Amino acid sequence: MTFRRALAYFFREAATGLVRSWKVSFVAVATIAVSLFVGGVFLVVGGNLSRVAERAKEDVRVVVYFDPAAEGQQAERNREMEGLARQAKGKAWVLGATLVSSDEARQRFVATFPGLAELLDRDAEALPPSVEIRVTPEADATAGYDEWIDQLHRSPGVSTVDDDREWINQLKAVVAVVRGLGLALGGILLGAAVFTIGSVIRLTTYLYEEEITIMRLVGATEFFIRGPFYAEGLIQGFLGGALAAGGLWVAFQVTAARMQGALLGALTLARPPSPEDLLLLAALGAAGGLVGGVISLRGENLGEPPVDDA
Amino acid sequence: MIQFFHVAKHYPGGQVALDDVTFSVLRGEFAFLTGASGAGKTTLLRLIYRGEVPSAGRILVNGRNVSSLPRHKIPYLRRTLGVVFQNFRLIDRKTVFENVSYLPRILGADRTEQRQAALEALRRVGLAHRLSAFPPQLSGGEQQRVAIARAVVQQPEILIADEPTGNLDPDLSWEIVKLFLEINRRGTTVLLATHDRATIERVGGRVLTLDAGRLVGDVTLNGTMPPALPDLDEPAGPTNPEDDSVAQPEQPGQAEQEAAETP
Repeated sequence: MTFRRALAYFFREAATGLVRSWKVSFVAVATIAVSLFVGGVFLVVGGNLSRVAERAKEDVRVVVYFDPAAEGQQAERNREMEGLARQAKGKAWVLGATLVSSDEARQRFVATFPGLAELLDRDAEALPPSVEIRVTPEADATAGYDEWIDQLHRSPGVSTVDDDREWINQLKAVVAVVRGLGLALGGILLGAAVFTIGSVIRLTTYLYEEEITIMRLVGATEFFIRGPFYAEGLIQGFLGGALAAGGLWVAFQVTAARMQGALLGALTLARPPSPEDLLLLAALGAAGGLVGGVISLRGENLGEPPVDDA
Repeated sequence: MIQFFHVAKHYPGGQVALDDVTFSVLRGEFAFLTGASGAGKTTLLRLIYRGEVPSAGRILVNGRNVSSLPRHKIPYLRRTLGVVFQNFRLIDRKTVFENVSYLPRILGADRTEQRQAALEALRRVGLAHRLSAFPPQLSGGEQQRVAIARAVVQQPEILIADEPTGNLDPDLSWEIVKLFLEINRRGTTVLLATHDRATIERVGGRVLTLDAGRLVGDVTLNGTMPPALPDLDEPAGPTNPEDDSVAQPEQPGQAEQEAAETP
């Protein structure tokens, strides 16, 4: 029998089997759909957070805040800030440095948060002068970068050094946790789904035991006997994966619409699941189903003829 | 050709199914295998198609050592054999055509070839008109004839039958036995297990007798070997009007020609 004809036979038999035992098949499909849906949610959220982190990395700044200068020491403070900016520009990873005086900082704040301007009236020194240093995205991987940050901390007049890397790294950690959680949870659920599919397939073989025995007796090979069951697992898994992909798409559209304008939505739902993501879910489902089928029948002597009598 | 050399089969727990059995059935021969229930008939047949592995001895089927056959080659052995059982072993959810055409299908025949092979086999057992029926819609005799059609659809070299008439009434049994004789006349070696002495005495020919796992008899009844075909048209009592299994007499020379074509 040609491989193509054998495949056609496998899928025809598998479809018959699915219809014949549709209730247990439905359970298997639903299990794999739920597990892949959960995995898919983490995939989308993790992906979006990761993109936020990547975008932030494109515009990394190190902001060096200075203590407000005492009366009559403004000129000296300016010299210190200019000196620090000059030194910074000498570093290979620095793209530019800008001095921001307290007044400029105040103007920026008021422009950004007009309703909060009165807060600044209570404290004249609320916004200290600073030097904003833009660095390359690869700066943190460059030798000498950490020592430079330490030096900035120790520079005269410096009160705080705000390195964007800190929150970017925190965001990266969140992304890693989300992805790890997604992988772990998705993996566990997928494992359970594979087990369910395997069990369903094994049950189906019991249902077909007599038939398999007959197949053996007329000379069917293992490939021919097992093929329909593997195809059944593959179909169940694919249906589950496709269901999960569809569910994920719908859930994204609904949730994104509801969370429009919210910061959490902007961070986690900026981009919908891509067609590749959805295909991946369907493919994962199919692969999981196939693996479930193969594992469940491994070592099974399907339909070995029973001893009628001696 | 089937050859057993000092074959024994012991089951765990010390049960002896066969003990030191030696015999051979020649190509084209028709032989009965008889003995009481539990004598070892089924075990002996299962050893032929490698449903069992002997505990000792050697079994050759058409020159192939079945005892040491690797597992992956068993299907290829079975494709050269036809096997018929007492309980028919048909697939209820498949039609007569699908049941009979199963072997051609796994051998790669296309739909037309499958249909031709199945039709030919069903014609031989008189059931070509029940192609679309499902086994539960058939009588016991018809189901057994479908099982026989399935067994001979690829014109096997050897046909083995395990109590094929055990579930049938005497009239239907005789019709089934006649089918086996007809198949044998076309060149297929037939080994038929039965404990029906009346059928054996009526047909005559080679009779192997088992008792408690030992071959206690190997005789030829009526001195007719190879078996002369009994009068197939001889009435054996009232026949089932729905049962059209009576094999049609062949044209002179047809059996010899077809026997020569059989692989």
